[in-house]
Amino acid sequence: MELFLMTFTNGIMVGGIYALVALGWVLIYKCSGVLNLAMGELTLIGAYVTIYFYLMGVPFILCILFTLIIGIMLGILVERIFLDKLIGEPILAVIMVTVGLSFFLKGLVGFIWGTDTRVFTPAIFSLKPFTIGFLKISTVYFWSFVLAIVLFLVFVAFFKYTRWGLSMQATADDETAALSLGVSARFVYAASWAIAFMAAGVGGALLGNINGVNISIGFLGLLVLPAVVLGGLNSIPGAVVGGLLIGVLQNFAGTYLDAYFPGGVKEIFPFAFMAVFLLFMPYGLWGWIKIERM
Amino acid sequence: MTKVWLPCGYYHENYAKDQGWWQTPVIKGKMVLLLLIVFVGFPLFLDEYWIGVANMIGYTALGALGVQLLIGYAGLITLGHAAFIAVGAYTSTLLILQFPWPEFLINWGLAYPISIIIAAIVAGLWSVLFGLPSARVKGFYLILTTMAAQFITVDFILTQYVSQIGGRGQAFSLPPGTIKIGPWVMDTDIKVYFLMIILLTLTVMIISNLLRTRVGRAWVAIRDNDIAAETLGINIIWYKLLNFFVAGFIAGIAGAFWVANLAALSPEHFPWSWSLWLVGVILIGGAGIDGAIFGSIFMIVVMELLQMAAIPASEIYSKILIDFAFLKEMAFGLAICAFLIYEPRGLSYRWWQAKNYFNLWPFSY
Repeated sequence: MELFLMTFTNGIMVGGIYALVALGWVLIYKCSGVLNLAMGELTLIGAYVTIYFYLMGVPFILCILFTLIIGIMLGILVERIFLDKLIGEPILAVIMVTVGLSFFLKGLVGFIWGTDTRVFTPAIFSLKPFTIGFLKISTVYFWSFVLAIVLFLVFVAFFKYTRWGLSMQATADDETAALSLGVSARFVYAASWAIAFMAAGVGGALLGNINGVNISIGFLGLLVLPAVVLGGLNSIPGAVVGGLLIGVLQNFAGTYLDAYFPGGVKEIFPFAFMAVFLLFMPYGLWGWIKIERM
Repeated sequence: MTKVWLPCGYYHENYAKDQGWWQTPVIKGKMVLLLLIVFVGFPLFLDEYWIGVANMIGYTALGALGVQLLIGYAGLITLGHAAFIAVGAYTSTLLILQFPWPEFLINWGLAYPISIIIAAIVAGLWSVLFGLPSARVKGFYLILTTMAAQFITVDFILTQYVSQIGGRGQAFSLPPGTIKIGPWVMDTDIKVYFLMIILLTLTVMIISNLLRTRVGRAWVAIRDNDIAAETLGINIIWYKLLNFFVAGFIAGIAGAFWVANLAALSPEHFPWSWSLWLVGVILIGGAGIDGAIFGSIFMIVVMELLQMAAIPASEIYSKILIDFAFLKEMAFGLAICAFLIYEPRGLSYRWWQAKNYFNLWPFSY
C-alpha cells in the first residue's frame, strides 16, 4: 500500500511537469492549428539555457526568469521565420516543418553543449526527502510540482484576466469570428508559440533537475504527445489531466511492470498505452468529437 | 505526378504503344544509357568510397520508396517506418545465423536470398499489424500510432528481446562469408553495389507497374477523398492494409540489404530520427517514385559534400569535424524547412518542369 501511494504521488509530481508542457502544446494547436512535433526539443532548449545560467552562478529563480524571457524571444522568432509562410499549407507540410525545426534545435544543442550529462551543482533542493505521514517525498519532485502548478496558474490567470489572453481564447474558439472582431491573428500565433516555448522551457529545466540535463530530455518532452491524446487535442483541462495521468501511468509501469520485462518498460509504456487508447477513444477524454465512420 | 508531354508532332497509332513505359526512341535511348551507366559505368569508374555512398543512396531509396507508397499514394502519414526496416533486417540476420539450413542450400548460396524474401514478408505482416489502427483513425492520430509502432518495435521488442537471442548482447555481427548469393560472397562494396542496384531496379519496376493497376488507382482515390472512394465501392480498409503490407515488404527488402551492406546489426541503426529522415527525403524529393529516388540522392550527396566541406573548415574551427553528426542534423532540419517553405512540391516537380520545357519547346506555356 505504501509503495502504491508513493508511486502515485511521484507520478502526480512528475505529471505536473508534463501537464505544463502539454498546456503549451494544446495552446499552439488551438490557436494556430499546428501539430507541433518539436515539443521535445523545446524542453531541451529550456533545460540547457537554465543550466547554462545556473552554472554561471545566477540564482535559480532568476534562471527560470531568463528561460522565460528567452522562451518568449525564441517563440516569436520561430513563429515569424518558419510558420508564417505555412499558413494554409497541408497538415503534413506543417508537421514536417516542426520536425525539421526539432532536428535543427537538437543538432544545435548537441553542437554547442555536447552530450555529457550536466547536473545542477550546487544542488538547488536539499537531498533529504521530507515526510508527510508515512510518505517520503523527495524535495526535488515536490518543488518542481509546486513551480509547475504556479506557472500553470499564472498562465490561466493570463488567459482569463488580460485582454491578450482573452483574444487568444477567442481565436482558439473561432478564428474567423475573432478576426472579424479585430483580433490580430499574427499576434495570437506569436503569443501562443511564445507561451509554449516558455512552458516547455520551464518544464525542461524542472525535468533536468530531476534527472540531470542531457540530450535525452528531448524524449521526455515527446511524452507530451500521449498526454494530449489522452486529454483530447483541443482541451486545456484535458492537457492537464492527460499530463498527470501519463506521469502516474509511467510511474506505475516502472514500479510494477519492470519485474516482468527485462530492461524496463517505463519509457515506452505511455506510447503503448496511447496506441491502445487511440483505438477506443481517438478523441481523448475531452476533445471535440468529429464523427467520421470508416 | 505531373504528366510528361510527348514532344511536338509525335503520336501513337495503337494502344499498346500508347501504354508503353518508354514512349519515344529518344527516351528508350536515354534509359538504355542510364542503365549502362548505372550497371557498368559506376562500378568501373567510381572508386570504393563513392560506391559505398551509392550503397547508402540505394538503402535510403528503398526505405523512402515504402514511405512514398504510404504517404504519397495512400495519404497515410507514417513516422515509424524505420521499425519495419529493422524488422526486416533482424529477420534476415536471425534466419542466416540461427536457422538450420539444409547443407545444399548453404552450398548453393541460397540462404541469404531466401532470407530476403522471408524477411520482406515478415516485415510486411508486422507493418499490417501496426496499420490496423488506420481502420479507425486518420491523419494526426495515425501519425501517433506509427510513432508508437516505432518505439514499441525498436526500443522495446528488438532491444529487449530479439537482440538477446543467441546471447550476444545488443549487437549482431555476421561472420564474413555467411552472406552468399549463389557463388558470390558479399564482402566487397562493389558486390553489395550490384546487389543494391538489382534490388532497387526490380523494386522500382514492380512498384511502378503496381501503381498502374487497379490497386494503385484505388490508393490514389483513397488519398484524395476516402469517403468518395468508399462510395465508389473501393474497400478502403482492405486497400489501406494492402498498402501497409507492400510498404512493409519493401522495408523488409531494405533491411535485408542493410545486413549485407554492413554485416553487423544493432537496434541503434534504426532510431526514430531515421524514420523522420525518410519522410524528409520524400518531402524534399517530391511526388512519385522518382521523388523518392531524387530525395535520397539529394540528401546523401549533400551530406557527403558537407562532410567534404567540413574538413577544410575544421582547420579554422576544429569543433566542426568532431561534432559533425550534430551539424548533419542541423543541416537536415534546415533543408526540410527550406524546401517546405520555398519548394513545397519538391525536386521531382522541377525535374518534370525541365523535361516538359524541352519536350514542348517552342510551345512551353
